[in-house]
Amino acid sequence: MGEIILRVRSLSKNYPGVCALRGIDLDIERGTIHCIVGENGAGKSTFIKILTGAEKRSGGDIYFQGKEFKPRSIREAMNLGISTLFQELNIVDQLTVEENLILGREPHRYGIIRKPKYSERVFQLMNDFAPDIPLKKRAGLLSFAEKQVIEIVRAIAADASLLIMDEPTAALSESETRRLFTIIKSLKREGLTVIYISHILDDIFNIGDVVTVLRDGEAVDTNSVKEISRDELVRMMIGKVTTDKYVPRMVDYKEKVLEVINLSTNKLKRISFCLYKGEILGFYGLRGSGKTEIVLSLFGLDRPGEGSIFVQGRKTYFKLPRDAISQGIFIVPEERLTEGLILKLSIRFNISISNLDSIASFGVIDAKDEIDLTKEYMRIMSIKARNVEQQVATLSGGNQQKVVISKCLHAGANILLMDEPTRGIDIGAKEEIHRIIRKLAEQGNAVVIFSSEYSEVLSLCDRIYLLRNGEIVKELKNQEAEPEEMLRVITGGRWNSHEVKLE
Amino acid sequence: MKSSLNSTLLQKMVVVGILIFIIALSFLSRSFLTLTNFNNVTRQVSFVVITGCAVTALMISGNFDLSIGSVLALTGTISAILVTYSVPLWLSIILATLVGSGIGLLNGFMVVKLNIPSIIATLGTMYAARGLALVITGGNTIHLGLGENFTLLGRGYLGMIPITFFIMVIAVLLFYFIESKTTLGRYAYAIGGNRRSAFLSGINVGSIVVLLYLLVGSLAGFSGVLMASRLGVGQPMVGVGFEFDVIVAVILGGTSIEGGEGSVFGMVVGAFIVGFIANGLNLLGVHSFYQSIVKGLVLVGAVLLDRKIKEMIVE
Repeated sequence: MGEIILRVRSLSKNYPGVCALRGIDLDIERGTIHCIVGENGAGKSTFIKILTGAEKRSGGDIYFQGKEFKPRSIREAMNLGISTLFQELNIVDQLTVEENLILGREPHRYGIIRKPKYSERVFQLMNDFAPDIPLKKRAGLLSFAEKQVIEIVRAIAADASLLIMDEPTAALSESETRRLFTIIKSLKREGLTVIYISHILDDIFNIGDVVTVLRDGEAVDTNSVKEISRDELVRMMIGKVTTDKYVPRMVDYKEKVLEVINLSTNKLKRISFCLYKGEILGFYGLRGSGKTEIVLSLFGLDRPGEGSIFVQGRKTYFKLPRDAISQGIFIVPEERLTEGLILKLSIRFNISISNLDSIASFGVIDAKDEIDLTKEYMRIMSIKARNVEQQVATLSGGNQQKVVISKCLHAGANILLMDEPTRGIDIGAKEEIHRIIRKLAEQGNAVVIFSSEYSEVLSLCDRIYLLRNGEIVKELKNQEAEPEEMLRVITGGRWNSHEVKLE
Repeated sequence: MKSSLNSTLLQKMVVVGILIFIIALSFLSRSFLTLTNFNNVTRQVSFVVITGCAVTALMISGNFDLSIGSVLALTGTISAILVTYSVPLWLSIILATLVGSGIGLLNGFMVVKLNIPSIIATLGTMYAARGLALVITGGNTIHLGLGENFTLLGRGYLGMIPITFFIMVIAVLLFYFIESKTTLGRYAYAIGGNRRSAFLSGINVGSIVVLLYLLVGSLAGFSGVLMASRLGVGQPMVGVGFEFDVIVAVILGGTSIEGGEGSVFGMVVGAFIVGFIANGLNLLGVHSFYQSIVKGLVLVGAVLLDRKIKEMIVE
């Protein structure tokens, strides 16, 4: 074994009510491409945030190049030699490629910028990796992949010896991915160490040397990529399956409430599915697989290029959210705080807003009706709050989500689209939300769950569609769903998608 | 309506401040605590308050209107010109007010349909409306042939109280009702609180914002008529800086500059504190140049104090 560049010992991180990392031990060897994989919520992003100085650890030690490593900011981590390629790129669109490359360290005299020296390392690196990107071009005109190259070049020129990449291929096409891999391989030859975080197993087998599996905030195992099979890796990511509680429910598969045929946008490819009365349907896929796009199209936020939507057997077309609402569709958005709620306002105002007309005559709101209905929802959903006037900003995540669900019901919805319904909600409240969802279905509503957590889909949904790259690749009944198989299908990667389709 | 603890706190603070100020002034100047003086302040403040009622609702929804001062001048001169052409007074009031509504509608259209930021769109109408007022008057003050009744609304009394006071009270009560009891008021809070969330809840954000602009334009238009009536002339250069007097009153009244919180009553208090400061300084013989400095200090000081107190509450 070669020199260890990064040594992590019993690293832990506690958030209020949640333990994100529970004592991680990890050694990263210099000059390797070290992959880290794990389900959503396994602790990958917390781990990166601590390494980059964006978050403070709760306990444990990190040694980088033999020295204690405790950065207080991303800038400090960079100065010490750890750079990160985030999913959100740090490129100023209005500036040229050249200006972006030397951003923040422009050569100047008395504040007046001078011509850069093209002999500088950053320009040489740029020339090595991507001679085809013109230096004078505006960064805003470049593709995502080209911008990514600029970021990588910038990081290496800043003398990074460890480069962290967070899902770098999520937004890339196949050929762009190949180019990125060529660059990563040549970086490795120069002795750079890469921590590569990804969901896409194919990427790992293509480029990784070593792979560490994180699960529930623990490092389960570290293996050489050559010595591990895809199936073994998936099994490790899932661990002991604890999906309980799915009780087969009696769904009468007769009354179709929603049918979608060949829905296509620039992200979605011929999405067809149907939803029955009283059913809980699941869409399971990675981030970026098209879940959110389906929600957008079904709620009048994105105009589908092709395809048709039938509600209760009637063909419909949604231009705006209120068109969808008038057909009985409502959403529980993924971004609860910025899209689901109005944080400054009270529980009462937040619930009633989705259908004020029902409690108003000639535009005048009946305050008593409003308070009564809010109290009723607080009782049904068991929303824990001082009173109806409490600001929703001061509620816990679980209670906030119950307010959003109440809002849907008050709007008179019978088709609920729930995008990541329990994201950022602690375990206890999660189960409570699940109970509420099951109850809603029993009362004859139809619910669609969009989730990237297999455990959520498995414990809730009667039927599951697996999504990958904007396509439905498989439909399963809950009883026949195997978590390992599901994860294998959605992480299938891009080179063998045709194989999966044949199954 | 108590939209949040913090804005009501600022209002309480402002009320306490105004009381201390009034008590101090009544000791310093004999003429301060008299009905004549109160009527004076009321008449000065009434224009700000009447327009401010609608502006508060608009700012709660997170939008601005800078054109109201120019609208005031335009509708004032239009009402005067119409009277000189022997249009009946009541009709000239209605027509001039409708011109204000029209400019409000135009503002709303530009902001909602053409997606122009509200500050820029209304800055445009601010210049255009002022220019229009100058064009139709040829830059002159209209004072001939207006007749006696022209000044009735602006200078008249009902008993011992100026008519403008009653108009002001009606506007405040109406907008308090809109703000606290109607769907329109609720939607304004929702849109200012979180536009995206309001849109996703099925609210017709566009038409609500247009309606609010229409109300602001109408009330600014009516205030213009009142102003001309009070001055007894149609003057194309009145109301320069009026928009900022209104915005200062609204902000002192605890309306958040980002929207989502605020109240009409707060705005009334804010308008009166500005009015009493100016009046008090006048009575004390302080030059108007200094009054402007004091106004600036009060505004910035009040907002700063408000934030400090909010931080203390959070801690």
